[in-house]
Amino acid sequence: MFFKFVIRRVLFSIPTIVGIVTLAFLLGKLIPGDPAVAALGLDLDGASTVSQEELERVRTELGLDRPVIVQYMSWFGDALQGDLGRSSVNRESVTALILRAFPNTMFLLLTTISTAALIGISLGVFSALHRGKSADLVARLVTIVGVSTPPFWLALVLILVFAFNLNLFPMNGSVAEHGWTALVLPTASIALQPAALIARMSRSSMLEVLSQDMIRTAAAKGLGRWTIILRHGLPNALSPVITVIGFQFANLMGGAVAIEVLFGMPGLGSLLINAIFENDLKVIQGVVVIVGITFALTNLAVDLLYSVIDPRIKL
Amino acid sequence: MTISSAVAGHGQSTSPSLRSRFAKNFARFLSSPLNCFSLGLTTLLFLLALLAPIIAPYPYEQINPANSLSPPTWEHIMGTDQVGRDIFSRVLYGARISLSMAVMTIIVGLASGVFVGAVSGYLGGVADEVIMRVVEVFMSIPGIILALALVAVLGPSPLFIVLALSIRRITQFARVTRGAVLGVKALDYVAACRVIGMSNVRILFFHVLPNCIGPIIVLATVLMGNVILLESTLSFLGLGIQEPTPSWGTMIAAGNELLTFAPWLSLFPGGFLFLTMLAFNLLGDGVRDYLDPRGASVI
Repeated sequence: MFFKFVIRRVLFSIPTIVGIVTLAFLLGKLIPGDPAVAALGLDLDGASTVSQEELERVRTELGLDRPVIVQYMSWFGDALQGDLGRSSVNRESVTALILRAFPNTMFLLLTTISTAALIGISLGVFSALHRGKSADLVARLVTIVGVSTPPFWLALVLILVFAFNLNLFPMNGSVAEHGWTALVLPTASIALQPAALIARMSRSSMLEVLSQDMIRTAAAKGLGRWTIILRHGLPNALSPVITVIGFQFANLMGGAVAIEVLFGMPGLGSLLINAIFENDLKVIQGVVVIVGITFALTNLAVDLLYSVIDPRIKL
Repeated sequence: MTISSAVAGHGQSTSPSLRSRFAKNFARFLSSPLNCFSLGLTTLLFLLALLAPIIAPYPYEQINPANSLSPPTWEHIMGTDQVGRDIFSRVLYGARISLSMAVMTIIVGLASGVFVGAVSGYLGGVADEVIMRVVEVFMSIPGIILALALVAVLGPSPLFIVLALSIRRITQFARVTRGAVLGVKALDYVAACRVIGMSNVRILFFHVLPNCIGPIIVLATVLMGNVILLESTLSFLGLGIQEPTPSWGTMIAAGNELLTFAPWLSLFPGGFLFLTMLAFNLLGDGVRDYLDPRGASVI
């Protein structure tokens, strides 16, 4: 039964991934003007500076002289084999560029989501246990402030206070240059929002579990307060929280873009923004494909994990 | 919306006039002090944006190199930027940009998304399956990445920015509307409409959709803060509204270069962005608690 569910869910994500690859292809077709001019890194006015032969050469090289459907099939086939084309700026393979940036982004995201989950679950459970009291109100206010703080602005405030005034952490740079201290400020900047959303879900889920009969039974049996909370309350409250964590992890891939640029971290976000400013279409398409697929696979993993934790859930 | 509330909503046509019902509901909504606060703050922000030409002490583009990078003073309560432009005036005009872009994005997203979702949910079958697969593809790419990629290929004009920000909203509205339509179309009164020979178009748009309005309003309110953040992020990264038009994101980015020397350049626009998001997030929560009490809330 479970095996059947896994197969179904995995099959379900195939059309999504095909769609993402297609969407990235269509993105290239949206460019106004001649894509060959764009591929040379020129804007529309720059077209007159290139010779006709040069444009023809680029068109043939990019396959733009073939019918669109053939171009699509070739893009799709190449993408399936992990070939996302070459950067028009430095002729490097897009896959290689992405493979270099991907671990940096993942490292930042994993640190962030672990921090956010730890803080969020603790705050949510604390809030639920003190329901209606002033501690609950404070925790909930922290949550709403957390959700509403723009991460890139928070990053600037943190840089000003902790890097410039207190000189505790580096202002920018990668982990390779400064070690783990380079991760503290970027993580703090983007962890606040997911932490707040995880806290929100943990609180309502914990409140729901705490009102169930089994908790009353556990209390009637004479179990200690913390045994009830940690062994009976929390594990049951966690399943919806895991979905939120997974969803937030996927969302962070977007949130990390501005932070990577701000802190000069060489991840997918910085790669994308550089590619945009250099008109490097293949890299833009490549990042969209990789981020989309990672997002879809994260959702797949969350669904599977969810069904392991809570066997009642079926697709 | 639950099935019972949908039925109740449908049956309410016999109760007093629509206006008095609205007044009663609105009074109930305002009975929570937090809802009063968030509604007051959002109204204030809209007013500031609307009245910017009257309130702003200086034209937003007026440069004064003799008074560049002045810290906050009585003359310039939020200081001035590198070319001596008044930050307060620019923040007020920035509110116009942020709010109008967000409202337009929500309108485009809502109108198209509700249409797509309603048709998908009502028709069902292959059409529904195909539409929902497409929706899933768009949902698989984080909003900011999709918007960045679209603005990168189309260019950062206001129209394309709204379009880039709307696409993901369309899918969100479509999903929520579809869910609501699926619930409502199974109700007996819809079958009754069919029995008396109403056309599908009339049933869907006059009898099913009006009963799906709750979750749609909730989503629209909740998304406002989100869209404002996205627009500011695009501007912050240099791909949103372009100078000299003031936008909070662009102002924060410009201040970043002089952060340690003139922190007011980034702090004030960022503070306004924070207040706006706070107002809309609180309002969104209030509206959700009111219209869809099953949803999780913060406060």
